[in-house]
Amino acid sequence: MARMKFLCDADRCIECNACVTACKNEHEVPWGINRRRVVTIDDGKPGERSVSMACMHCTDAPCAAVCPVNCIYTTADGVVLHSKDLCIGCGYCFYACPFGAPQYPQIGNFGSRGKMDKCTFCAGGPEADGSKEEYEKYGANRLAEGKLPLCAEMCSTKSLLAGDGEVIAQIYKERVMKRGYGSGAWGWKTAYRETIES
Amino acid sequence: MLVIADPHPTTWASLAVEAGRKDGVYILPIATQFECTGSRVASNRSLQWGEQIVKPVFECKDDLEVIYRIAKKCGFADKMFKNIKVENNLPEAEDVLREMNRGSWSTGYCGQSPERLKAHMKNQAKFDFLTMRAPKDDPEVGGDYYGLPWPCWGSPEVKHPGTPLLYNTNLNVMDGGGTFRPRFGLEREEKLPDGTTRKVSLLADGSYSKDSEIKDGYPEFTLASLKKLGWDKDLTEAEMATITRVNSANPDAVSWSLDLSGGIQRVALIHGCVPYGNGKARMNAFGLPDPIPVHREPIYTPRVDLVAKYPTLPDAKQFRMPNIGFSVQKAAVEKGIAKQFPLILSSGRLVEYEGGGEETRTNPWLAELQQDMFIEISPGDAADRGIKDGGWVWVTGAENNSRAKMKALVTERVGKGVAWMPFHFGGWFAGKDLRGNYPKGTDPIVLGESANTITTYGYDPATGMQEPKVTLCQIAAA
Repeated sequence: MARMKFLCDADRCIECNACVTACKNEHEVPWGINRRRVVTIDDGKPGERSVSMACMHCTDAPCAAVCPVNCIYTTADGVVLHSKDLCIGCGYCFYACPFGAPQYPQIGNFGSRGKMDKCTFCAGGPEADGSKEEYEKYGANRLAEGKLPLCAEMCSTKSLLAGDGEVIAQIYKERVMKRGYGSGAWGWKTAYRETIES
Repeated sequence: MLVIADPHPTTWASLAVEAGRKDGVYILPIATQFECTGSRVASNRSLQWGEQIVKPVFECKDDLEVIYRIAKKCGFADKMFKNIKVENNLPEAEDVLREMNRGSWSTGYCGQSPERLKAHMKNQAKFDFLTMRAPKDDPEVGGDYYGLPWPCWGSPEVKHPGTPLLYNTNLNVMDGGGTFRPRFGLEREEKLPDGTTRKVSLLADGSYSKDSEIKDGYPEFTLASLKKLGWDKDLTEAEMATITRVNSANPDAVSWSLDLSGGIQRVALIHGCVPYGNGKARMNAFGLPDPIPVHREPIYTPRVDLVAKYPTLPDAKQFRMPNIGFSVQKAAVEKGIAKQFPLILSSGRLVEYEGGGEETRTNPWLAELQQDMFIEISPGDAADRGIKDGGWVWVTGAENNSRAKMKALVTERVGKGVAWMPFHFGGWFAGKDLRGNYPKGTDPIVLGESANTITTYGYDPATGMQEPKVTLCQIAAA
């Protein structure tokens, strides 16, 4: 069985935010909730890098381990989903997640949280595939239609890859070998340390 | 009178209300491309035929209908739309393009008929991804480049394939080849070092497009030049009659761009020649104020010490308008503007927004990503002024006591002494939110100061293009 993964090639990301916009549009994500975001480090300095981040659909996901109501589960494709019917908005998953993926709508004063929302790898939720209920709670289910997540499909530089982990790892490996620099290409720093910045 | 025709009410609408204008301002809601049928041109010079997807929503109208109704109100619609079918006040888009085809010989906007464009849309899959060309043996679009990029010479019946790359002498003109246009006379006087002058031909020298029957430079085609070459025999009787009608006193003077029959273009093409002629490229742009570009300090420069040596061009009347750039530059130096406004201000684009931004700032997915008008300032300049990242600042400009309130983005994206702001915002003026001035329900989600509140005087001497890109400013914490 395929295990679905995201991979963002930081040598290619141009911080255009098309992935963020595509996600919001496809799933009608409300203002203030960001299932995906682009993070830029060393902005304006040599070596500036951007990377598009969302739920990374971990194997043995820490969010699932800490959830007191067991609403987070992993599908046969390796996608981490959750049930908004069970979620109590406690926020534990947010603290457990190393990527800051879980998001919560504010539903009242004093920062009280609504039910958790996060990237579904465009795979909906526990409701019947493609049903109205599923769309209202989790957004579109592209995976059930045989399509990959829209963020990666829309990526103009094909920096953001989504799909079977084995396949995208192979694509990335080929890219690095062809480039022959940066991204951990073996020997690059040793050979060009003084003159080339990767 | 100010008429604003746009799918979204623009900044101008809010400013006009703010200025207290009660009369003579019209906001016309215009349909988007999805609500209209007709040809669309892209910046690669190719055309596509667009179909209406939805009927115009709310009270917006098709551009063509607006133009027709204005013409009707002004009393010349019968003349303007003589050759165009109009139904329920909406001119037919096919006829509009045909009218353009009939009158646009000089730009090669003559071969792209609605029928040919529709055939391109129907046969999109046949065009090659790289060459943009359809196979030569296709019955409908054979040999065409996708979208018939202009120049697409001759009448549609000539079936010129369009020109994806200009001035390509490696191709036959009927395969999209071309030459440089002799547009600046056929010869010019050149001064030699010894003080004497000589005439230099401006026609091409031994260079010509593939398969050209004239193996050298040549001027634009006229009936006279066709006669000289003995090619006038190739004109049909009908073409000859039209040429004579265009200039009955002197038909010989009728050129490729004036011949309404397209005959002169057709005959030039069958002999492998480009209708406008074959000239030399012009590296020395004689006739322009600076034939070869030289350095000139901007009107508002931080390097006042360089102005005396590299001043802008003298004041002059250009077209119908005066250009007083020199006086403005001189006054700026005398008044010490650069001391008062020490930062270079440049403006540019954000990936989220487009143009003035009214449409994209109305889209919630995009508006959420850029919620505030801002100015980029370097950490050093920010520290000198006590400005914090994300804090409010006043930006002041060198003319008319202009000022604008926005947020500071302290970043090393800009160097010391330079500030940058995006030009997609509008709806605030001098610190005041003008949201109430938009017609109800039409205000964009995000409003902000317009960059052009701060920009200053300056016009290109040859084209009259304004200089909104760079000036001087000062920034202070608000």
